[in-house]
Amino acid sequence: MSGGGAGQQGGRRDSGSFEREPARRIFASELRECRYQFREGDDEKSPTFVLLPTGERCNRVFVVGTLTEKQRQGDQNIFYRGRVVDPTGTFFVMAGSYQPEAMQQLARIETPAFVAVIGKPSLYQTPDGAYLVSVRVESITIVDKETRELWILDAAKATLDRLDAAAGGASPDAVKAKEQYATLDPAVFRKMTYDALAQVKI
Amino acid sequence: MDFSETAERISRKMVQKGQDASAIDRKKIETKLKRLVEEFGVQPSEAERSVTNELAKELNIPVAGTGGSAGGTGAREEKPVAAMAPGDWVTFEGKVVSLLSPPSPAIAQSGIIADTTGAIRFVVWAKANAPKMSEGGWYRIESAVVDEFKGIPNLKVHSGTTIKPVLEDRALSPAVIRVSDLKPGIGSVRAKVLQEWEPSHDRMLQSGVLGDESGTIKFVIWKEAGKEKLEVGSVYTIWYASVDEFNGRLSLNLSTATAMKEDGDIAVSGGDVEARGVFVHIAPGSGLIKRCPVEGCNRALSRQNYCPVHEIQPKFVYDLRIKGWLDDGKRTYNTLLQRDAVEALTGITLDAAIQIAENNPLGMDEVFLQMRDKVLGRYVLCRGREIDNRLLARSCEWMKMENGEHAALLNRAGGAA
Repeated sequence: MSGGGAGQQGGRRDSGSFEREPARRIFASELRECRYQFREGDDEKSPTFVLLPTGERCNRVFVVGTLTEKQRQGDQNIFYRGRVVDPTGTFFVMAGSYQPEAMQQLARIETPAFVAVIGKPSLYQTPDGAYLVSVRVESITIVDKETRELWILDAAKATLDRLDAAAGGASPDAVKAKEQYATLDPAVFRKMTYDALAQVKI
Repeated sequence: MDFSETAERISRKMVQKGQDASAIDRKKIETKLKRLVEEFGVQPSEAERSVTNELAKELNIPVAGTGGSAGGTGAREEKPVAAMAPGDWVTFEGKVVSLLSPPSPAIAQSGIIADTTGAIRFVVWAKANAPKMSEGGWYRIESAVVDEFKGIPNLKVHSGTTIKPVLEDRALSPAVIRVSDLKPGIGSVRAKVLQEWEPSHDRMLQSGVLGDESGTIKFVIWKEAGKEKLEVGSVYTIWYASVDEFNGRLSLNLSTATAMKEDGDIAVSGGDVEARGVFVHIAPGSGLIKRCPVEGCNRALSRQNYCPVHEIQPKFVYDLRIKGWLDDGKRTYNTLLQRDAVEALTGITLDAAIQIAENNPLGMDEVFLQMRDKVLGRYVLCRGREIDNRLLARSCEWMKMENGEHAALLNRAGGAA
């Protein structure tokens, strides 16, 4: 898939059938660096992607980490914010009234806890110009420590696969990533991956 | 250049279609041909075709599809079914192997007609006033038109076509091909019925999957008099099934077919997959469900114990299943776990699930929630068969850490830095 380029990753919508966007495995430090968001096609329902610095589009993420904080916000429109920590950094997650199921799940979980989060990343810019990537939760469940460790391995493998594919091939997404993230050195992400793996004790 | 010969040919064709010879102005045809060829540089064969079509339209005669070759030149020629292509005018002798109830009042008869070389779908327009053909009968069909409907060749019997019964009964058996060799149109296979699905429509008698050594294909049988369900696990020789294409996938419509049950077994080929990943979504309809108790039905009932076919069924049968999306980070599998796999993975047996449902204010929803919380976001390894983009898991287990993998990844991350 990594070599398959945009056509394959964008799903098989061109032939009329629906293919669900896969949930990417990505570390917090990489997701935090995302600055480029785009849309495939002009259709109302066409998906929005953030472009990962390692050169792949991403419409959905699967992350496992520790829910360290959660906060209820809003009066009329209640929503929950949370922080999920992985070995490399923090994911900002949120669930609002458009994700009632996810919000109920998040409301019930007591911090701290290992959680598995499936959600959609989106990119915001604050008034002072800083970028913020948050994950709109589709579902969040409590998991065990082993799942967290399996995820670190899984995310490490996915990150290395992306780095290798971007270094070797020239898929349209990898090329675009090199343009958009010209100042980011891929070696940083390799180092990040190594550090994350080193935290897993077997 | 002289166009009188071509004009003559065109007018003859119209007469053949039942037009009065006096109604056709040969001079006008000639002028049109001349204009197209000399003024507009059109190829003579193309000019003949377009004038023929124009005239046929004027005179209300069905015409060949636009994709065809020079229309009409083959009208007298005998053509075997296998050689028919869209745009051809054909004359042949064939056997009506299947009749369907016409989908519209504009159509008098529709079905499948075959000769020793192959089979083709046909339609008899109501306007054609053709004699009724009967299933199993042999007919000589003169000057019918082959065109294309939804990408599949289709024979049209119109008012210019003559149909004569052939009285002798000839033997005819179609060539049986492999499932993987099926193409849109008509096909005959020998295959085993692997699965039966819940009908998704009132008019559907049965749907499921069948396969042979070469592959598997979805099939459907619509409710019609005389149609019977196929038995799961049995082998059938199926003659003249309609092969349809939708979204690039083929399916077999057996409403046109004759299915003969056979002894013996077929080793159905692979489709076996192993998926490692995470359940990222558990769909409604998972957990504890109620099934229709009517023999051979087994459909899932609604909350009100309502079966789409057999209505209210208070004496339902409980079952367990999980429907969801299994995601390995690169692609997602629409996955279905049957009872055994659900019990093994969640540790909740059917009896335990019934207990939970009966002793909890949320009832069956509680089973769904408990199962969701156990399964969602956890790494599993599912083995099963992938059919029609759906993974039917035979077995599922939790994934465990593997020491070697960790070391290998560390090397990979550190080694190349």
